[in-house]
This record gives sequence, structure tokens and C-alpha cells, in this order.
Amino acid sequence: MAEARANNPAVMRGRHDFPEISGRIGSIVLDGRLPRHFWTAFFLCFLLVLLLLYSITYLIAVGVAAYGIDIPVAWGTMISNFVWWIGIGHAGTLISAVLLLLRQPWRASINRFAEAMTLFAVAMAGLFPILHLGRPWFFYWLLPLPNVHMHWPQWRSPLVWDFAAIATYATVSLLFWYMGLLPDLAVLRDRARSRPAQLFYGILGLGWRGSAYHWSRYQVVYFLLAALATPLVVSVHSIVSLDFTFAITPGYHSTIFPPYFVAGALLSGFAMVLTIAIPLRWAFSVEDLITVRHMENAAKLMIAAGMVVAYGYVSEAFFAWYSGEPYERAMMAQRALGPYAPLFWTMLGLNCGVLQLLWFKGIRRNMPLLFAIAVAINIGMWIERYVIVVTGPSRDYLPSAWGEQSLTWLDFGILFGSIGTFFALVFLFIRILPAITIFEVEELAEEQGKLK
Amino acid sequence: MSLYGLMAVFADPEALVVAARGMRERGYRRMDAFSPFPMKELDAILEIPKTRLPWIVLAGGIAGAALVYGLIWYSVEVDYPINVGGRPLHSWPPFVVITFEAGILGAAFAGFLGVLAANGLPRYHHPVFNAESFSYARGGKFYLLIEAADPRYRKGVTKGQLTRLGAKAVEEVEA
Repeated sequence: MAEARANNPAVMRGRHDFPEISGRIGSIVLDGRLPRHFWTAFFLCFLLVLLLLYSITYLIAVGVAAYGIDIPVAWGTMISNFVWWIGIGHAGTLISAVLLLLRQPWRASINRFAEAMTLFAVAMAGLFPILHLGRPWFFYWLLPLPNVHMHWPQWRSPLVWDFAAIATYATVSLLFWYMGLLPDLAVLRDRARSRPAQLFYGILGLGWRGSAYHWSRYQVVYFLLAALATPLVVSVHSIVSLDFTFAITPGYHSTIFPPYFVAGALLSGFAMVLTIAIPLRWAFSVEDLITVRHMENAAKLMIAAGMVVAYGYVSEAFFAWYSGEPYERAMMAQRALGPYAPLFWTMLGLNCGVLQLLWFKGIRRNMPLLFAIAVAINIGMWIERYVIVVTGPSRDYLPSAWGEQSLTWLDFGILFGSIGTFFALVFLFIRILPAITIFEVEELAEEQGKLK
Repeated sequence: MSLYGLMAVFADPEALVVAARGMRERGYRRMDAFSPFPMKELDAILEIPKTRLPWIVLAGGIAGAALVYGLIWYSVEVDYPINVGGRPLHSWPPFVVITFEAGILGAAFAGFLGVLAANGLPRYHHPVFNAESFSYARGGKFYLLIEAADPRYRKGVTKGQLTRLGAKAVEEVEA
């Protein structure tokens, strides 16, 4: 046990006291004296927000043909961006809900920004199916609203399920996140010295006063929300994968998809957690609250999820061959050797090859290297989504209609625009709300006897 | 200005637990504790009843699922039945997916709104905020409130008892 402890970096380093914890986390928000590189990075993200707005305007004005899709490949980057962003959101829910249920103390200092990451990723994801519609202003037809057409949504369609799943996921994530924020908003309300800040945090804090009666109900419901979010997160990405598997297109029609998509979501999601957390802990000098242990655990979860993804790749290829279906086999061969082969092999190299470096403890604890691996996995997972989306329809059952799609500036304008908007939202979140959960870190310090 | 109660400040959670237990043993019933993070020990000492909110969450989940399944059933059987090649109108398996999502949504809303309603939040003001010492600004401070409405409450006596139980400061709180 002692040896295990010596080998494992602590969840929390050093000794702390309550005023120091609430002061350090709260002052990031209230004093607003953020380092210059914070605003420089925010400005760069803001340029990408403008790029996104321009790209969306262009897309709606000109039509969906302006980006790379073409018959027979009518699903393009809008769908792969959507799947990728939703997947990134899932790790946030996993950290905040599943690790809460498993009572893992190391979640306490990273759950807040992981939940924020979920919200912003889902907000980005929600854009893409709507942009993909061609006539985005009719998206409300997916809702069972009384309308002049006197029709109902097609309840048997995965696209309608998808809409319900994403809307539910966004709403439940928001409720869970806000509930976790309440006690911290009360701390900020009491710390704030300027009248506008007192009003802002006071109203958001809903008059929370930390009564023992309130805490006892709060904890029961917080755990229940976590228990609800856990099956929800699995159902959401399973339903996303049903968008594909319900089609009889080769490469889409596969029963491995739901678990394979969920594992892929966790892989890309944990990669994004590391992509944000490593610069965050460095920039705000909170290396003693978000420790190497957190980063290492996230890396271990990445390799666990990544091996399931690798199994998914193998299973897809095996069942394409085992089906005995010539078109399934042709699609798989074309995926590896056809026009999209460079992307396919890059994907394998990143998601299965580079990932293996995480088996080594020295690499897991080397922050710059871990950051580089996380970024590589993010790229690999985007390529995976793209390869899945386009290779199926490009090699369909009618060889005379085989064809490819291209990537235009608009594909990248919208993708990088959405990445910039996501990070701009993360920056605003760090500026406005406490990015580390004050009350849980205090509780952790108390439980672990790390008090001065 | 009437008196709401006495607010005692403690420096650490153990002192609060000791004091709450001590005041309980002295027969006080109308009291409340305030802490920056949840403290399980207080539930037993203050005899906080087990919350019925899990049943509200369950009811919310069932209501959400039933409402949406009912809506789907109504749309396919009653309002807009379309016969597609003689397939059944009420083909339930695909309807389960949205019903499940609606159940989760209903349960989550019931839990979130339920906990706010049960705690009487949002609330514009509460007498405890009248206490000068009551603030979470500096993080961990722990408070015990004895209401003036408690039958055992005697101004000087109660204050003395709180001080002997280790309170750093005791303050009168106006209603």
C-alpha cells in the first residue's frame, strides 16, 4: 500500500486551507487579471468565431453544394463534425457523472470544466445536422409541433431519435452543471466586491446558503442526476450510430456501431480533456489541484477506450469479409486501398499506433508529450468519423455510380470555425465562472487531511 | 426588529459537529447548520428526515416517458394513421427510443426543480444573511444557528452554551 502510494502521484499536492482554495479559484474570476496570453489566445479564437459566422452565412446563401458533398456521397464533413463534437462531449459526462457514482476522488478538481466542455461541445455538435439540412430554417419540422402541414415527425426514423437524444443530452447536462455550480456561485457572491458582480452571482446563486437541510437533499438529487446522465450518455452516442446503421449502405450497416461509437467518443473526449487541462493547469498555476495523477488517469482511460476502438476497427473489417457480401468486401478493400486510403492509414496510425505510447508511465507523466499525443488523437478521431461517413456511400451497391467527394475551403472554414468558437466559449467560461469546483476541492482537502 | 436566532461561528467542521451534538443533547430542536460543503454527520445530529425526492424523480421519469409514448401513440393511431403496406400502425419497438430519452428528461427536470422547491430556492433574502459573520467569502467557516423560536432558547444561557462548546463568535441575528 505504501509502495503503491509512493508510485502514484497524489490527487492533491501540498497543504491547503479553505481561504486559500476559495481565494485562488475565485480570484481567477473576480479579479479578472488574466495573463496577456489568455487574451491573445481568446483573440485568435474570436477570429475563428468570425470565420464560422462567415462560413455559415456563405453556406446558407449558396447552398450545401458549396462544401464538398456530391452524389453519391451526400453525407460529408457536417455529419463527421457532428459525430466528432458529440463524442468530445461524452468524456465530460463520464468524468462528472460516472466517476461521481464510483466515488473517485480525482474527479473533484476537473469535473467542472469537463462538464463545461460537454455543454460547449454539444452546442457545436447541434449546429451541424441543422447546417446539413440544406434548408436549415425548416429544422423545427423535426419537432412534434402543431403546424400548417398537419403532419408529425417520422417516429421510426433515427434522425428524429437523434434530435430527441441531443436535445435531452444538452438539457440534462445543463441542469447537472448548473446544480453543481450553485454552492460555488454562493462563494463568488460573498467574495464579490463590485455591485454588478454581486448582483450577477447573487441572482445566479439563487440564494444558496449552505444549510445542512439543503445539502442533504442536494446530495441525493445530485447523485440521482449523475445516475440518470450515465445511461443517457451511452444512449446518445448509440443513437448517433443508429443514423448510420439503419441505412443499408455498405460500411454503415453494422451491429458493432453503437459500442464502437461510444468507445470512440470516450477516446476523443479524453483527448480533448487533456488538450484543455494541460494548458489550463499551467497557465493558471493550479498544478497542485489538477495534478499529474489526473492527467495520468485520463491517459489510462484513453488507452482503455482506444483499445475498444481498435477492436471495433478489426471487427468491422472481419465482418465485412465474413458477411460474404461482395459489396461489403469491396467497400472495405476500397477504404484501405482506394481514394481515401491515405486518410484511413493516418487514422490507424494515430488512433491505434500513437496511442500505444501511453502504455509507458514516463510518457503519461511528460506533459508536453501527453499534450501532443492528445492533439494527435483528436485529429485521428476526426479522420475516423470522416472516413466512416464518406467511404460507405462512395462505394455503394452500384459500381457505375461510385464516386468521391472533395474537401473545399468551406469544410475547413466551418470545422476550424467551430473549434475556435468552442475554445472561445471555454475562455469565456474560465473568465466568468469558477473552472474548478471550490466546494468539492475543499471537501477533498478536508477528507484527505490536507488542511493546514 | 425581532430576533431570529443566534449564529455561532466555528473554525473547522469537527468543532461544528461537536457543538451541534452538544446543543442537541441540551434539548434544542430548532437549529440549522451551514457549511461550505456537505457534511454527512449533521444529518443524524439534526435529525434531518430522509428526503422523498427520489420518488419525485421516479414520478417525473414515468410522467415524461408516458407523455411522449402517449403522444406518439396518438399521432400514429388516432390523428394521422397511414397504412404502409399493411404494417402495424402501433409498431412499438422504434418508439421506445424517444420514450427512453423523454423519461430521462422528465426525471432530470423533476429532480432539479424538486430540489429547488424543497429547499425553498430561489429565495431573495433569508434572515441568516443579516448576520455580519455569515459569509462564504473566505471559504471554510462553519455556522450553527439556534432559532429564537426554540422552546429551550434563553438569550444569555444559549449564548453561554455555544461559547463553551467552542464557538469563535456568537451573534444575534435579526429576522
